[in-house]
Amino acid sequence: MTTIMTILSILFILGGLFFFTTATVGLLRFPDFFTRLHATGKGDTLAVFLSLVGLALYEGFSLTGLKIVIIAIFMFIAQPTATHAISKAGLRFGLKPWMREEDKK
Amino acid sequence: MNSFLIAIGLALCLLVFCVLYRVVFGPGVFNRIAAISAIGTKTLVILIIFGYFYNRVEMFIDISMVYALLNFIGCVAAAKYLEDEG
Amino acid sequence: MIIRGEDIIIRTIARVLVPFIQLYALYVIMHGHYSPGGGFQGGVILAASMVLLYITHGYSEVNRKFSVNIAALFSSIGVLIYSGIGFLCLILLGNYLDYSKLYKLLNVDPAHARSLGILGVEIGVAFAVMAVMFSIFFDISTGGISPEDEEEKD
Repeated sequence: MTTIMTILSILFILGGLFFFTTATVGLLRFPDFFTRLHATGKGDTLAVFLSLVGLALYEGFSLTGLKIVIIAIFMFIAQPTATHAISKAGLRFGLKPWMREEDKK
Repeated sequence: MNSFLIAIGLALCLLVFCVLYRVVFGPGVFNRIAAISAIGTKTLVILIIFGYFYNRVEMFIDISMVYALLNFIGCVAAAKYLEDEG
Repeated sequence: MIIRGEDIIIRTIARVLVPFIQLYALYVIMHGHYSPGGGFQGGVILAASMVLLYITHGYSEVNRKFSVNIAALFSSIGVLIYSGIGFLCLILLGNYLDYSKLYKLLNVDPAHARSLGILGVEIGVAFAVMAVMFSIFFDISTGGISPEDEEEKD
């Protein structure tokens, strides 16, 4: 039983690390502010959720594991809201989205 | 399991240093705010891994929950402040 | 300056999350002797929840529940609780803030009375810190003049 839980938690944490890596690569390489917000807003949220669920599975069914799940649920609700707030501020400030060369005409 | 968690923590620290490039060189202030929010999200997971390393998980869970709250409120406050044109 | 509140998604999420943030702040205050926390940290988290309501809803909606005048009252109440417990220990023939002399009032042994005395002092500190943090934020964001005073001048 504990071996299965350990293997599951290792899989979840590795999945979380994979999504963190892709979110960081997106933040560094995308051409515009709004596209970078797509990468970090969605990728980071899912990565944190998977990592924290993996750590909670390793901890077991106790008060500590329940607290880690509560942090994961809070991040799942709050991080997209912060992304929405900052993208709306960028739009009102006057930043224009990036378009390809052939689409500009 | 302990060494696996330490390896994950080191990989996340390396990712934090990669995001620092966007904090320093991001053209304009909005890129910097988004990158700071991403750094805060990674710090949250690193803190709980520290808790496993020092065998005191309960203490570090409270600290990381507070940091998640402050990251959210800071990002919303900065976005509201920078809204006006020019 | 930050007094517009037009976005409906952020307003709804802020209204859902603020009671849980305040509940967590009370947990941090109460468990100060056992885990990281205490009076000052819990007071700062309470003030942060008030700031979240302020920046998402505008000042006129927060003013009905928690205005700057009530914040001044709360800071005085916090200091009153702190020094009141100290003077109570002085009246009961001990030193100032010597909590062990409180055991006669509370019907517990002196070691237990010390722990309860520190808990009471932490609650006073949390009140004072929350009120002062909120009033500092208000002064920085509006320059000390609330919008109703501005309307009266016109």
